[in-house]
Amino acid sequence: MVPDAPAGGQPTARDRLACSVRAAHGVRYTRLPMSIPQSRLRNFSIIAHIDHGKSTLADRLLERTHTIDPRQMTSQVLDSMDLEREKGITIKARAVRIEYTAADGLVYGLNLIDTPGHVDFAYEVSHSLQACEGAILVIDASQGIEAQTLANVHLALRQNLVIVPVINKIDLPSAQPEVVMDELENVLAIPREEVLLASAKEGTGIAEILEAIVARVPAPKGNPRAPLRGLVFDSHYDQYKGVVTYVRLAAGTIHEHSRIRLMGSGAETDILELGVFRPQLVPVQELAAGEVGYIATGLKSVRDAQVGDTVTDAASPASEPLPGYLPAKSLVFAGIYPISGEDYPLLRDAMEKLHLNDASFTFEAESSIALGFGFRCGFLGLLHMEIVQERLEREFSLELIASAPSVEYRVTPMGGGPVLAVDNPALMPSAGEIETIEEPWVKLSVITPSTYIGPLMELSTNRRGTFTSMEYLDPTRVLLAFEMPLAELIIDYFDQLKSRSQGYASMDYEEIGYRPARLVKLDVLVNGEPVDALSLIVHRDKAHIAGRQLTEKLKELIPRQMFEVPVQAAIGSTVVARETIRAMRKNVLAKCYGGDITRKRKLLEKQKEGKQRMKRVGSVEIPQEAFLAVLRMGDAG
Amino acid sequence: MTTGDAPAPAAPVALYVHVPFCRSLCPYCDFVVVAGAAAVGPRSRVSSYLRAVAAELDLRADALDTAFGGPGSDARPALETVYVGGGTPSLLPAGAMAALLDQIRARFGLAPGAEVTLEANPGPDDRGDLAGLARAGITRISIGAQSLQPAELRALGRRHRPADVADAVAGAREAGIASVSIDLLYDVPGQTLASWTETLEAALALGPDHVSAYALTLDDPEAEGLTGPSGDHLPTPPGARRWREAARAAQDEDRAAGAYGLADAMLEASGYPWYELSNWARPGHQSRHNLVYWERRPYAAVGPGAHSFDGAMRQWNAAPLDAWMAALVSASGGIAPTMPPGGAESLDAATAETEALFLGLRLARGVPRNAVLSRIDAFAWAAEHGLIEDGPGERVRLTLRGRLLSNELFARIV
Repeated sequence: MVPDAPAGGQPTARDRLACSVRAAHGVRYTRLPMSIPQSRLRNFSIIAHIDHGKSTLADRLLERTHTIDPRQMTSQVLDSMDLEREKGITIKARAVRIEYTAADGLVYGLNLIDTPGHVDFAYEVSHSLQACEGAILVIDASQGIEAQTLANVHLALRQNLVIVPVINKIDLPSAQPEVVMDELENVLAIPREEVLLASAKEGTGIAEILEAIVARVPAPKGNPRAPLRGLVFDSHYDQYKGVVTYVRLAAGTIHEHSRIRLMGSGAETDILELGVFRPQLVPVQELAAGEVGYIATGLKSVRDAQVGDTVTDAASPASEPLPGYLPAKSLVFAGIYPISGEDYPLLRDAMEKLHLNDASFTFEAESSIALGFGFRCGFLGLLHMEIVQERLEREFSLELIASAPSVEYRVTPMGGGPVLAVDNPALMPSAGEIETIEEPWVKLSVITPSTYIGPLMELSTNRRGTFTSMEYLDPTRVLLAFEMPLAELIIDYFDQLKSRSQGYASMDYEEIGYRPARLVKLDVLVNGEPVDALSLIVHRDKAHIAGRQLTEKLKELIPRQMFEVPVQAAIGSTVVARETIRAMRKNVLAKCYGGDITRKRKLLEKQKEGKQRMKRVGSVEIPQEAFLAVLRMGDAG
Repeated sequence: MTTGDAPAPAAPVALYVHVPFCRSLCPYCDFVVVAGAAAVGPRSRVSSYLRAVAAELDLRADALDTAFGGPGSDARPALETVYVGGGTPSLLPAGAMAALLDQIRARFGLAPGAEVTLEANPGPDDRGDLAGLARAGITRISIGAQSLQPAELRALGRRHRPADVADAVAGAREAGIASVSIDLLYDVPGQTLASWTETLEAALALGPDHVSAYALTLDDPEAEGLTGPSGDHLPTPPGARRWREAARAAQDEDRAAGAYGLADAMLEASGYPWYELSNWARPGHQSRHNLVYWERRPYAAVGPGAHSFDGAMRQWNAAPLDAWMAALVSASGGIAPTMPPGGAESLDAATAETEALFLGLRLARGVPRNAVLSRIDAFAWAAEHGLIEDGPGERVRLTLRGRLLSNELFARIV
């Protein structure tokens, strides 16, 4: 069957495009999803702490329901990005339509919406949850509840989702399902009789989970004959299909030949293709209220179909859009620069393209005296920053350098005037021009075995954190709560937390607003010249020690130059720390070997490449690592 | 200097023979060397090596005959220099050396007054039959002294004592070898500027004609990608690798720079002006063979890991001894020898020009002033930092500081 071929006429350009796209994806039409009444639809997601087995459980659900040809089955099948597989995390939400014949003999349509597990992506998680009526909560039988479990469960409960609790990895010798059930009861008020036991790895408990989804998760509501309203909960960009929006239909029905309007942007377009996720895109002829699917819009600009917008029928539009989302809020900011200045246009292009698939980072052009032309970017968190940088480098073959991450400060100028938002330490006004500075604070939740309470208290209070509460989850594990400046959190707090708890502690945080702070701008001068990309905003009481650590680190990282180079840290015009990099004395091929000129030339070419990878500031060559020195400073406590 | 046109091949004016045998391996050395039973004693591979090297000399000479005509014809000048290096070539019997040089004379030609250098180790069981070697045709000897401090020699894994160096020099003089050179190493673990001064004084007291002072250079040929099947280096043994790591930690850039400056001053004052970055000589005793390398004149080479250059192409033999021998000597003797495995790179005009600059600048006479015009920014930078100066005859040369920091300039011109 070729569903798009119009009877008795030449195929249109749109048909040819759609067919070629499908051919390219290797879709087989024999497996077209069947139409299922709304009462037998179930939309759910899986929420879990990282490594608790979410992706493996998803794999098992797909296998058990024959959603994916066993020959095409790979592990972490929903994590298609290389980075996701390497890091074992889900970065981008995915959806998949499962057809399941339940014990009652009826076929149910289950839409699994996979969500990222890391705290940085809570924003995406909340979107995905909004498209669901239920959530499977996966908890590791030996690890128990972790900080992100709590955060995600609270997110789900806030959206009135039904929770299906699953204790996973019960096959492990260290599994303690009874203890975990106690925790669930005490901390989340989940009755133990609701809890399912499973081992996604061994495939046990999967049937019970599928039945529980059918029995416990309510069917979606919404009148399929009402005016069309569909919430765009995610999107990606495809070079053939344009912006592909992921939608959850709240009301109405959409057909493959519909003309749609995005109520927020006002953009109108004929649909190129309508379909569901299996998990690759499989076309269908229509989607009705309660369904989850995709619309290939053909739109070339993601701004025309933003996440949170409402899709309606252009001919008979709905009167009101659905409540959308708050825009993603950047918490962490950094400059991203090409190592070679010539790559700036390529970087701009790459930023724009990546942004089509990840609207949650922001970017705007900036220039740095030290690093040249680049972009100031805002990220959801540090992991997000790392992922965006890696994707830009891999997917666009760019060599990039990122400046040290910063938060956004609010600065009230001396003598009044509008409050400035400063997310780049280099742009912080000098101390004399500042009336007050405010910085963002977070509420930090840490779950840890009680043996590490001491070290983690110390770590957090050294970072200007204030301890607010401690709660025992079970006799050996506690939930600690702190309030802390976000700026202290983004510089390797997570690594320190892991190292001081031997990997056992987990953390989560949420913003709690701005508070005044005694902060100063610490400038770094290399050979007497300020290097803007090395500026740092620190608490006044820590300025001296931070200055000393930074100059010591820079002395290690900046190679000897042709002349002696002083490295100074200064607040305003007051130098608070100084190191000296001695002049280079010897760089010569003075080895006894005869006629092997090839090797000599190659060694020189390698040195030349090394020089090209450095950034020239004045007459000093500074390696990239130096710009990240601030990240590697020890705990300034 | 030639620019624009692709370089043209020419017949060699020099020949390098690599002899890969030592009694024991020195942990810092990454020349192609086999040691122990393969080098000395009844099971040594020296005689098969001699058959193979004779076969390679014939093959190379045949190729030159075809391309340029026989030795002595217009395009095929007789060799000006031969360098027998290693390894410890002084381990070869004098008779074998005589046969080797006879073959070279017959197949390549040896110009009147040609320089024929032999590398020798100073130990009594290493330095060989110097009188016999001199009769075989050796005119110059390069003695691997490295240091004249007992503790430093032990730290370097050397088998000889300081007194052996004096004996070797005396033996060479007695044998009538006209030019004697001593090799020394600085930036060695445990070395101080005081001990280095003593080594230099003791070396000068022996009255050599030529001194080479090399910085101890602890490389990792594996990391440079040189140890594959057609690579020109052997893998570093694990013990040597550990030794290099420890020794690297004991090196010191400032001390090394001081040692170089000290050597230059003492040698210059004693009548040995520098002529190349690591080489100082009495007038008339510069190594003509090494000058061929720095002046980019063509040279042939035989032996495992040996490098040759014909003006247009650089070629090398692979390092593994077995593969080299297998190509040249068949076990039953029935199969004709073939060229041993290895690699090659041909040089375009731009690369040739670059090489001419960074090799020419290694020499005290420097490069012609007009040759630097194509890299004027790099040379302006070098002048600003005191790395270069004007020399006699419209030439540019490195200053003392420039010699020590020469890679900083060279990396800007490659």
